[in-house]
Amino acid sequence: MNAAGTHMTAPPLSVCGLGPGEITIASLAADGAALLLFVNEDCPTSALALRRLGPLCPAWQEAGLSATAVFEDPLEVAVRLARRLGWAGRVASEDPPYQTSRAYGLVSVPTAVLVDNAGTIAGTVTGWDHAALVALIGKAGALLGAGLATPEATEPLLKPGCSSKAAIDPELAAAMSAPAGSDGIEEMFERGWTDGLPVVPPTPDRVEAMLGGSDPSFSLGLVPPDMGEATLERVAACAVLAGCRPAYFPVVVAACQAALDPAFNLHGQAVTTQPAGQLVVVNGPVRDAIGLNSGMGALGPGWRANLTIGRALRLLVTLTGGGMPGKLDRSTQGQMGKVGFCVAEDEEVSPWEPLHVERGFQPGQSVVTVIGSDAPLSISDHRSRTPEDLAWVLAWAAASQWSTNWWPLQEPSVFVICPEHAEMFRAAGWTKQQLRRFMFDAVHKPAGELRRGETTPFVHAADPAAQVPKWASPEAIVLIVAGGEAGRYSAVLGPCTGMGSQIVSREVGSPWPLTT
Amino acid sequence: MAADYVSPFDDRVRTPEPLAPRPASVSGRRVVLLDIRKNRGAEFLDRMETLLRAEGAVTARSAKEIFSKPAALDLIDDIAGRADLVVEALAD
Repeated sequence: MNAAGTHMTAPPLSVCGLGPGEITIASLAADGAALLLFVNEDCPTSALALRRLGPLCPAWQEAGLSATAVFEDPLEVAVRLARRLGWAGRVASEDPPYQTSRAYGLVSVPTAVLVDNAGTIAGTVTGWDHAALVALIGKAGALLGAGLATPEATEPLLKPGCSSKAAIDPELAAAMSAPAGSDGIEEMFERGWTDGLPVVPPTPDRVEAMLGGSDPSFSLGLVPPDMGEATLERVAACAVLAGCRPAYFPVVVAACQAALDPAFNLHGQAVTTQPAGQLVVVNGPVRDAIGLNSGMGALGPGWRANLTIGRALRLLVTLTGGGMPGKLDRSTQGQMGKVGFCVAEDEEVSPWEPLHVERGFQPGQSVVTVIGSDAPLSISDHRSRTPEDLAWVLAWAAASQWSTNWWPLQEPSVFVICPEHAEMFRAAGWTKQQLRRFMFDAVHKPAGELRRGETTPFVHAADPAAQVPKWASPEAIVLIVAGGEAGRYSAVLGPCTGMGSQIVSREVGSPWPLTT
Repeated sequence: MAADYVSPFDDRVRTPEPLAPRPASVSGRRVVLLDIRKNRGAEFLDRMETLLRAEGAVTARSAKEIFSKPAALDLIDDIAGRADLVVEALAD
């Protein structure tokens, strides 16, 4: 079967796009004419067409020609490919059995179809045929009474397309497109039950094992931004998806409870343009019980418990809460901590009381603390020979957090002190409070030097000679200890700012299991 | 046949609220300008207020506690009770 012929009425579209409304031929051609470019992920010629035609779309749009790439792929694949290939037009997606491609009689992709504003097909080009496409664009220009930009005549000028998924036997097409039931991991991607990494499919058996006797209908509350209800069953599904073992579940639940505390303002963190992630700090005996790493590589990869507990919380926000990156999650750049970030404190190496004890818990209690935070900045200091020098270096490393001249910061900076650095403070007999005070006192500047670019109303209101500290108080400096025994690298994580987000701690498994 | 999985989603159907009818004119209408407390949002509202008053609108100001949290229900009720129209400012 050949592509739909010229002068026939363009068949209706059965596709979905990014917006809430229905995509129709009439709406696409409303400004004059519409160009549909049928493509699919598996086709290099489709990629060529998207790359070469994509940059022209905004100028076409201004002249009244809307260009839409119709992908024979899931929407998330379509959006990713369009972005990667520089397609600046609209994006639409059709599912098997590719009803729209069939209606247009597609044999191969790419196929470009020009539709006038009466909804009539004015021309069709299959494959990459530069001359034919220039002629088609010229025809669009004639319809609009405008000169339209055309792609450069660079090699290849001719490239055959690939088979349209609609031209393949429906059963074969279904088998080729990661069919449900035969590949659970691919099915999770198709369903959108993922953060972009492979997940463990949440079968009823796995979810039941994760629940460990807790009531699946027990609710932890509503998860912003879309206010989905965090029943334990859904939390367990997220924990399974994240790759957690059932033994981690009480920690996941405590992290979720802490993050859903209104004082944490997860709502703001979930939708902000900031790079805010939800740092999960674990203290107490549960660290050893479930194999959380607080030693070498404590902030990095390699340990299942660390990687999956933080990820389970993030999946709850993303899936149950609807805070999907690029949708309700509007983070400008994001950061890898938004995949999930769980740190265990090395209480045994630390010279100080651990974080949870500082926050009012007993040393023998297992506690999760959540902190809205930016990505970590590593601080190398192999040269300091006094605690004063080391504290000065650590503190000034945080001087540019949030923004270079944004002083004072109201929200906390989290310093993860490595064991060798911690040992220097232990040997000198410095308490946590002394170190915190020293760091607070060390970092200040005259207000006059901070009046450039983004700065605070406080700086503008202050006398130019007045010393402004980096933090509003010493309590905004949070100190924990973690890392390998060798190497003098500590780290500092900047804050999530302006949200009124507070640090929240919850005891793990108290009570457990959770029942109504 | 598709495997049976436990969904992490809350599948309750949420119907989007329809947009209220757009007014043909603001003249004589009560307009509340809601400052979400984002940086410089008030400057935008000042200008909007000037323009709305020139068009005959009766204006009043209101403000959220903080931009990063949803408006409190009592604030929404308060505005609903004294406004025909609302202008909410985002800024930065």
